[in-house]
Amino acid sequence: MDATYLKICEISFDPEVEHKTFRESVGGAGAIVAFTGLVRGEGEDLTLTLSHYPDFTESQILEIAKQAEARWPLMGWRILHRVGAMTAEEPIVFVATASRHRRDAFEAADFLMDYLKSEAPFWKSESVNGNERWIEPRAQDITDLKRWTE
Amino acid sequence: MIEVLFFGRLGDASETLHIDLPQDVIDSDGLTAWLCKQNSKLETELSKAGNRIAVNKAIIARNTRLKEGDEIAYMSPLSGG
Repeated sequence: MDATYLKICEISFDPEVEHKTFRESVGGAGAIVAFTGLVRGEGEDLTLTLSHYPDFTESQILEIAKQAEARWPLMGWRILHRVGAMTAEEPIVFVATASRHRRDAFEAADFLMDYLKSEAPFWKSESVNGNERWIEPRAQDITDLKRWTE
Repeated sequence: MIEVLFFGRLGDASETLHIDLPQDVIDSDGLTAWLCKQNSKLETELSKAGNRIAVNKAIIARNTRLKEGDEIAYMSPLSGG
């Protein structure tokens, strides 16, 4: 598959630009599903900081993407993931998938996001009004992941 | 020398270590026990559930023999997206 792309981004990216680039790379597709994850926040002084393990993080995400390719007949995928410090409303993650028919693209994007949430090597800490804490997977994230193995 | 890296909240407990493989340490279980003896904050964090260990950038599922030049990473639960 040629239309595959993974980037760990130190600075902000534009999901609209990524969508357009992806669409242009998957000629003949009948469906594109694109998901953008944003930093939540309602105006408080919030900073989210993500760290990763260079090379290992990329190789683990490629493994996850390979699993998606094996499960669904995809024509391409595009994954961007931020690291570093972010504030409310900034994009953290972009996942897009393309296929001939919509169901495959929907399911593959859903699968990729569930795996990125709790199986990709990223670590997230949140600072709200100066109070820092580590964010770890919620019970819901673990339940979401199990959907794909049951 | 081996390199020992700590990620997530384990990174709050210890800096990266560049050390000679401690005497009597031959495997990952041995290294974990040695680290716990050196650093009580790390001991507390390593006793919590959900941590993972990678040797040379591959997750290990069981005790693994270590050698000179290895890169060992201790990781707290992963959280992307």
